Amino acid sequence: MNKIIAWVDQRFPLTFFIKHELTDYPTPRNLSYWWGFGFLAGFVLVIQIVTGIFLAMHYKPDSNLAFDSVQHIMREVNYGWLIRYLHSTGASAFFAVIYTHMARTLYYGSYRRPRELLWWTGQGLLLLMMATAFMGYLLPWGQMSYWGATVITNLFKATPVYGDQIVTWLRGGFAVDDPTLTRFFSLHYLFPFLIFAAVAIHLVALHTVRSSNPSGINLADKDNIPFHPYFTIKDLFGLGIFMIVYLLIVFFKPDLFIDAANNIPANPMQTPADIVPEWYFLPFYAILRSVPDLAGGVVAMAISVLIFAAMPYLDRSRVTGGARYRPIYRAMFYIFVIDIFVLGYVGAHPPAGTLKMVGEVCTAIYFLTFLLLPFVSRWEEKFVLARGLPPAVEAMARKEIAEAEGNV
Amino acid sequence: MSNNKLFGLIFCLMFSAGSAQADEAQLKRGAHVAVEVCNTCHSLKYLKYSDFLKLGFSKAEVDAMRGTKGMADPLISQMAPADELAMFSTVPPDLSLMAKARDGGANYIYAMITGFYTDAKGQTANHVFPGIKMPDVFMIAQADAAGRQGIEQKARDVSAFLEWASDPQAEERKTLGRYVIGYFVFLTVLLYFLKKKIWKRLD
Amino acid sequence: MSEENTIKDGANLSRREFLGTVTAGVAAAGVAAACVPFVSSMNPSSDVLAKATTEIDLSGIAPGEEKTFPWQGKPVFVVHRTPEEIAAMAASKGGKDPEPDAKRVQKPEWLVVIGICTHLGCVPNKTESGWLCPCHGSVYDNSGRIISGPAPRNLDLPPYHFVAENKILIGKA
Repeated sequence: MNKIIAWVDQRFPLTFFIKHELTDYPTPRNLSYWWGFGFLAGFVLVIQIVTGIFLAMHYKPDSNLAFDSVQHIMREVNYGWLIRYLHSTGASAFFAVIYTHMARTLYYGSYRRPRELLWWTGQGLLLLMMATAFMGYLLPWGQMSYWGATVITNLFKATPVYGDQIVTWLRGGFAVDDPTLTRFFSLHYLFPFLIFAAVAIHLVALHTVRSSNPSGINLADKDNIPFHPYFTIKDLFGLGIFMIVYLLIVFFKPDLFIDAANNIPANPMQTPADIVPEWYFLPFYAILRSVPDLAGGVVAMAISVLIFAAMPYLDRSRVTGGARYRPIYRAMFYIFVIDIFVLGYVGAHPPAGTLKMVGEVCTAIYFLTFLLLPFVSRWEEKFVLARGLPPAVEAMARKEIAEAEGNV
Repeated sequence: MSNNKLFGLIFCLMFSAGSAQADEAQLKRGAHVAVEVCNTCHSLKYLKYSDFLKLGFSKAEVDAMRGTKGMADPLISQMAPADELAMFSTVPPDLSLMAKARDGGANYIYAMITGFYTDAKGQTANHVFPGIKMPDVFMIAQADAAGRQGIEQKARDVSAFLEWASDPQAEERKTLGRYVIGYFVFLTVLLYFLKKKIWKRLD
Repeated sequence: MSEENTIKDGANLSRREFLGTVTAGVAAAGVAAACVPFVSSMNPSSDVLAKATTEIDLSGIAPGEEKTFPWQGKPVFVVHRTPEEIAAMAASKGGKDPEPDAKRVQKPEWLVVIGICTHLGCVPNKTESGWLCPCHGSVYDNSGRIISGPAPRNLDLPPYHFVAENKILIGKA
């Protein structure tokens, strides 16, 4: 065995790679469990790819057969129900984990210099994931699948001049139909591998700039510990907790994330009474509906997703550690999280009366949070520096301010 | 220890999730109603006659239910869809997934079957599904109190059966689920102690 | 470091190693168990298994006639043999894989064989005296026995039994 490894090492940096990037990789010892969600996301990605490959062995991407083939999987394939519920619940688990991962990044300011590229590759991953989830949702060919795909592809109508052509091109027809299903299946199978590649890029970026940590300062060498065994075991324990929650849903409440109407085969002649997207799209859907104009709504929704990428520039405070040392930023963070939950609630219900107004107010708060941040963060910086900070944090902030002013 | 509380909660969830099952006798009665009444007009195309064996029916009983149809044949409605279209001006929906396809599941089906009444104009209408095209097959709108009770029992039975039909693996899933969750709780406890041991090295 | 400390560390270390080994073992068992549903899902599903047996009505096959039926996706030849053919087959022992005709049939007038050449899996064509495989010229007689050509064995017999005078069930002996 050692001989084989030595042979490989002469030709490929196997041992070096494992030591340098995995086992001995220096990791801040103060990382909390909130830093474990990146690992969880990777694990769920693997669950989704594996279950997806096995589902594709039995699924038929044909509008006449798709719905029946899902029931074939559920009723006749050995453990087909298990594999399908792992996959359908896995989609929700993936978003839950990624949103938590993003919330941690926002709370602790992990997007700040020098981690802008790391944050942006993460944003790219989110967009790929959203596209994959959206296309996957068409495959069962139920009523929600069909009308969800119809509504979302129709959003591209907002494109100036070529709107109608683009919608027709996306669908491969004048309505969502067999060609749409077949291409969504093809791309739904492809995208996870793009995500996998993007994860590799995300990790290269991470290992270049190293993990941020809750203190916000760069730790001394003695406070970095090897990834293995300390964080392998910490992440695995977190995985155990995650698996218990995930599998409780898979085995005991598997229809939690499957809308009742999706158990009715797609019918292009009849739209279900209330159509709602999956929970993970609800806040964005609420924003879309809160703007009265189609094009305006689409632009607002697109910006609501993309605006996170601007965070490294919108947040102009040089005090590190995110919300930890910044009371106003912390308040904004919590208001923003609550705002998203309210938007999610609004998105799940028909937009009428008070709820419509609540949606509009929450949409305004959503964007105001980002728009006010540049001004608030500068003002807050002065405030917290005057009030006093832990010496290491203050020193870092003052050094950054001095550098910035020296450059001006 | 707060961990004990957490695991206690998980165990509660595990076992409560498995309760509230319809009993076998009720499912069997419901199966008879489904085959003898519903199946006249509605298909249950994702069910096969052989699936009744899983419900505890004997082979002879299933043979009586299927008549000339094969054991592996799906439960297709006895009326042809074209005739149904002419008679009801719609094709009655397939019932195999009905309990999953309506919010409320079996309760919805029960409320719909028992929801027929005679309106002010003397027409039969339905509380749950206004404008329903299905006739009041059990004639609950005209039934007296005693008749009503019998019909309600039938409705409960067939609703329970349709819930089973929409998810025949539910029992198997919950049984397997208890083992799997038990395993992960055990593994997570081990990982927790191992984690504590390993991190102690840093003290 | 004092001696006492060393001993304590040693005890700790071995306890940690024990816990680590147990945890790794339990995790490995879980990974192995998790493979079961995935591997199992590639086995024939229940609707495929339901087709494992095929009932064949023999009443439509005239003496001297051969009909082919699908069973588990494979062709099964059913031949209604004439008294002359039965006599000829009873008299012969076959070719390179000798076997008495009586062992190959349940009722002498009905020959039931799997229609797949034992050489490389082609489907032989019916001839006057038996079958001829189009792929490599293996010749079988009216008992499905190999007479000449590259095939190593006689045509295989499917498990079957008579459920009625004129009905057989293939797939179950």
